[in-house]
Amino acid sequence: MTFLEIDQLSAFYGQAQSLHDVSFNVDQGDIVAVIGTNGAGKSTLMDSIMGMVKNTGAIRLEGQDLVGRNSADIVKMGVGYAPERAHLFPFMSVEDNLMVGGYTARDDIGRNLAHVHELFPVLKDRATQETATQSGGERQMVSLGRALMTSPRLLLVDEPTIGLSPKVCSEIAATLKRLNEEDGLTILITEQNINFAMSLAKKVFVLETGHIRVSGTPEELMADKELNKAYFGT
Amino acid sequence: MGGTINWRHLLLWAVFLGGMALLPQLVSKGTLRTFIFANYLAIFAMSWDVLSGRTGYISFGHPFLIGIGAYTTAILSYRFDVPVGVSIPLAVITTMAAGTLFFLPALRVKGTYFALVTLAFMELMYQLVQVIRPDLTGGTRGISGVQTLTRGAVNGYYLSLVLMGTIAVSLWAMMKTRMGTALSAIGMNEEAVEGLGLNTTKLKLFAFMVGAGVAGIGGAFYVHYLGSIAPRALFDINFLFTIIVAALIGGASTIIGPMAGAFFLTFLLEYLRPILPGAERYFIYGGIALVLYMYQPKGIYEVIRQAHFKLAGSARHEHNP
Repeated sequence: MTFLEIDQLSAFYGQAQSLHDVSFNVDQGDIVAVIGTNGAGKSTLMDSIMGMVKNTGAIRLEGQDLVGRNSADIVKMGVGYAPERAHLFPFMSVEDNLMVGGYTARDDIGRNLAHVHELFPVLKDRATQETATQSGGERQMVSLGRALMTSPRLLLVDEPTIGLSPKVCSEIAATLKRLNEEDGLTILITEQNINFAMSLAKKVFVLETGHIRVSGTPEELMADKELNKAYFGT
Repeated sequence: MGGTINWRHLLLWAVFLGGMALLPQLVSKGTLRTFIFANYLAIFAMSWDVLSGRTGYISFGHPFLIGIGAYTTAILSYRFDVPVGVSIPLAVITTMAAGTLFFLPALRVKGTYFALVTLAFMELMYQLVQVIRPDLTGGTRGISGVQTLTRGAVNGYYLSLVLMGTIAVSLWAMMKTRMGTALSAIGMNEEAVEGLGLNTTKLKLFAFMVGAGVAGIGGAFYVHYLGSIAPRALFDINFLFTIIVAALIGGASTIIGPMAGAFFLTFLLEYLRPILPGAERYFIYGGIALVLYMYQPKGIYEVIRQAHFKLAGSARHEHNP
C-alpha cells in the first residue's frame, strides 16, 4: 500500500530550481533510499517533504496532501526528520535535545524516551552531556533519537553516515533495520554511501541534478553496468 | 538550559535574595544607590536576554521598548494625572504591543539585518519623541517632576530588589519549562526546531512579548525612581551597549549571567568614575569584555561554573586520593 506518494515534485530556492518533476512512491513498512552525489537535490527533497522549501507538484501521505502545509502540521501527521549533519542544538544536553524533539508528542514523551534509550543506551548514560562535545556517531544517534521523539510513522533520514566510521555506519544501519522490522516504521533515506543504502533499502532511486535517473531494487541496480561505472568506477 | 525546578536551586535563590535584602544594613547609602542602578540594569539585561540571548535575534533597539514603557507611564501620570497604579500596567501593556511591532521584522530578516532594523526603531523613537506632540513628551528636554514611588535610598533599593528578584525567579522558572528549552533551541538552530514540528513563529512571538513586558516593567519603574525622563539619556547607544554587554559579559541564555554582568558593569563604571570621569570609561569595560569573550565566550557565569566544578573535583580528589 502506498504510504508516501511524490508526484511531479519541483522545488525552488528563489529562482533556482533544485528538483525537476520528481515522482516516486514509498510503500508502508518499507525502507526506501534515494542516492545521489553532492548537489543532486537529496536534502531539498527531504526539506520539501517537510514543507521547508517552496515547491510545486504533490506530496501525499496516506492520500493527504502535504504541499502547502507547514512543518508543524506535517510532523503532527506523523513525519519525523533527522536532517543532514544532525543539526543538533550544540550547547544543550542530550536530554534537552531529545525533549525539544518530544515537544509536539507530549503524551508519548515517557514512552518515546524509554524507546530511544533502549535503542541507544549511550544516550541515557550521557543525558547531561552537551552535544557539542560528543563524537559524530553519538550526535547522529541523538539526531535519530530526536526525530523518534516526535512519534513518527514515516522517518526521513538525510545522509545518516556522513563523516562516520564504517563501524558506526553498521550500528546506524542495524538500528534503522530494527526500527523498520520491529516497529514497522516506514523509512526514507537519502545517501551518498551507496553500500549503506543498498544494504538497507528495498527500493533505491538515483537522483542526479534534481532528476530521478534510475530506480529499482538493490539487486537490479547492482546489475546495471552504467550505474556501477558512475558510482563505483568499475 | 532546561530541566526540572529543584529545591536546591530555589534555596540558592532564597539565600541570594535574602543576602541582598540585608545590604542596607551593611553598605552606605551611596553604594545602595549604585545597587539600585545595578538592579534596574539587571532587569533590562534579563529582558534583552529573553528576546535576543535565547532566540538569537540580536536586538539593537532595546531602549525603544524600555522607552515606550517609561514614556507611557510618565505621560499618563504627569500630564493626565492617571494614578501610578493604573499608568504602570498600561505602560507594560503598551510595551508588549510595541514588542509585537518589534517582532514583525523577525518574520523576514535575521542576523545583522534584524539588528539594524531594530537599531532603526530606537533612532526613529528618538526623533519622534522630539517632534511629535512635544507638549506631551517634553521634546528634547523630556519630562521632569514625574511622581516617584519611594523616598530615600533604602526604600528605592527594596523596590528595585523586589522587582528584580520577582522577574529573575519568574524567568528562571519559565526557562525550566519545555517552552524555555525550545526558545534556547531556536537560538542555536531555528531550522532544526522547525523541522521538529514546533511553531517557531509562535515561540518567537512569545519570547518577544515576554522580553518586551519585562522591559516595560523595568522602564516604567525606572522612570518613577528617577522622577525624570529625557530622550538622549534613554535612546542612547551607550545605554544600549551597556545592556547588551551586561547580558553577554555575564553569560547570555542564562538568568544569573545578565544579573552578574549588570552588577559587574555598574560597579566597574562607578568605581572608574573618579579616575576616568568621561566616556573613556567605556573603553575600559570594552577591553574587559573583549578579554573575557576571548577567554570564555559564555561569560562570567561559565567562569564561575567551571571554577566550581574544578573546586568540587579537587575536593573529591582530596577525599579519595
